[in-house]
Amino acid sequence: MNTLTYLFQTAVKNFWSEKRINLLTVLTIAVGLLIISAFALITLNIDLTLKNWSGGFGLVVYLKDNISAEEEGLIKNHFKKDTDITSVNYITKEQALKELRQTLGSATHLLEGFESNPLPASFELKLKRESLTPAGIKEKAERLKQFQGVEDVQYGEKWLASMDSLSKGLKVLTVSLGSIILIALAFVTYSTIKILFYRRADEIDTMKLLGASRSFIRLPFLMEGLFIGLSSGIIALSALFGIYAVTTAKTAELIPSIKSFAVFFPPAAYPVLPLGGALMSLIGSLFAIGRIKY
Amino acid sequence: MIQFSDVSKFYDNEAALSDITLTIEKGEHIYITGPSGAGKTTLLKLIYAAERPDKGTVSVAGQDTGKLKQGAVPFLRRTIGVVFQDFRLLPNVTVFDNIALALRIHGIDSKEIKENVNDVLASIGMKHKAHEFPRHLSGGEQQMAAIARAIVSKPNVLLADEPTGNLDPGTADTIIKLFREINLRGTTLIIATHHDALFKNTGHRVIYLKEGKIEKETKD
Repeated sequence: MNTLTYLFQTAVKNFWSEKRINLLTVLTIAVGLLIISAFALITLNIDLTLKNWSGGFGLVVYLKDNISAEEEGLIKNHFKKDTDITSVNYITKEQALKELRQTLGSATHLLEGFESNPLPASFELKLKRESLTPAGIKEKAERLKQFQGVEDVQYGEKWLASMDSLSKGLKVLTVSLGSIILIALAFVTYSTIKILFYRRADEIDTMKLLGASRSFIRLPFLMEGLFIGLSSGIIALSALFGIYAVTTAKTAELIPSIKSFAVFFPPAAYPVLPLGGALMSLIGSLFAIGRIKY
Repeated sequence: MIQFSDVSKFYDNEAALSDITLTIEKGEHIYITGPSGAGKTTLLKLIYAAERPDKGTVSVAGQDTGKLKQGAVPFLRRTIGVVFQDFRLLPNVTVFDNIALALRIHGIDSKEIKENVNDVLASIGMKHKAHEFPRHLSGGEQQMAAIARAIVSKPNVLLADEPTGNLDPGTADTIIKLFREINLRGTTLIIATHHDALFKNTGHRVIYLKEGKIEKETKD
């Protein structure tokens, strides 16, 4: 058995011998991690839902009645070159009028006063999801307006901006809240390890007098901090999965479609919670032990 | 070789040791004696760098302990075995593990640790107590376990602070015999005691301390 194995066994023994305070710390940290991860999961779901809704979002380029074939050709050529555009649909004046009549239904008499078709021909453009940023769409719209033969370009500017700020706001809130909770969790481990360090002060003094190095004394405490963080993360992840499964199952009884859009974290993200907990606990433990003096 | 050159140590402006000059040769067996508060424990502490001199220099195997960097202290201590007055056995581990700790600190592998600890336990007649916890041992047995821990790593220097303090005469004799054997193997042995019966007619050097000063030095 090498020294590292011995120190690991010492850490496990110490963790078990102080099980009450360690269990309390693990549960406290697990609750903190659960809050952070629940917030992150809600944000992820809202973000995905917003992105799904925005899938049908695009630009409408209205053309002048007197647009020449050459001008129209130039515009179509521009669409082909723009890799952000996923589909282009040309709506003739007649199709536009037909669609309007269908939309108006029994109120088509409103159009009777017009001698000719007042609606312009247009191109409906669909864009890639990642290109649906307020700034990006605005820039595209401004560029299209410069083309000869383009009457106007319209897009849901306000709606897109609201959606974008809601998504960004949620992310900022999650990160800020998460950071505050993580610091608090590091402090919880700091306090526990500090207490355990003081409780074992005599043992530590004896080890120092026998010639133990700093790392020999420190490592079991750091490992103990690591166990606390890791087990807290595993408990928090399991609890989050349980809550998610129960909540979606219960909600599905009222809103069956929830199952089609509610998501849990991908498996690749599962280690983040235990490892994040372990890292914060390790930092807390490092500060708690401080500098060992001889 | 251990050398004290004009060493003084103060606690709250009171001198625990004053102007001590002393040389202890390699392999020597020496007693430090004197009444309580004479400075015996402080003198030992200065050797294993648990205290630093306020004046003068203490040199152990050529190292000035007063100038020793923090990181170098453990390495010095690994060359010195100490039998503490209060034993300082870890309460939550067995006798075997208490003794093994000294070797684990040296980074020795488990097979060698097992052999060495069993050998030392056999030499002090405590093999049957290997898996007992210190609280289940008598004062003499605890003292024996503390000695075993101090000698298991075969240190160059062995310091013992009142090693027979509260022991019955029979156990005290056993311990002294054990110390003599250790010294005969070449280990420098320094024993601090106020029991003059331990060193009477032994022919070993005795340093008498009184109020932090060397009062006299004899070969009893």
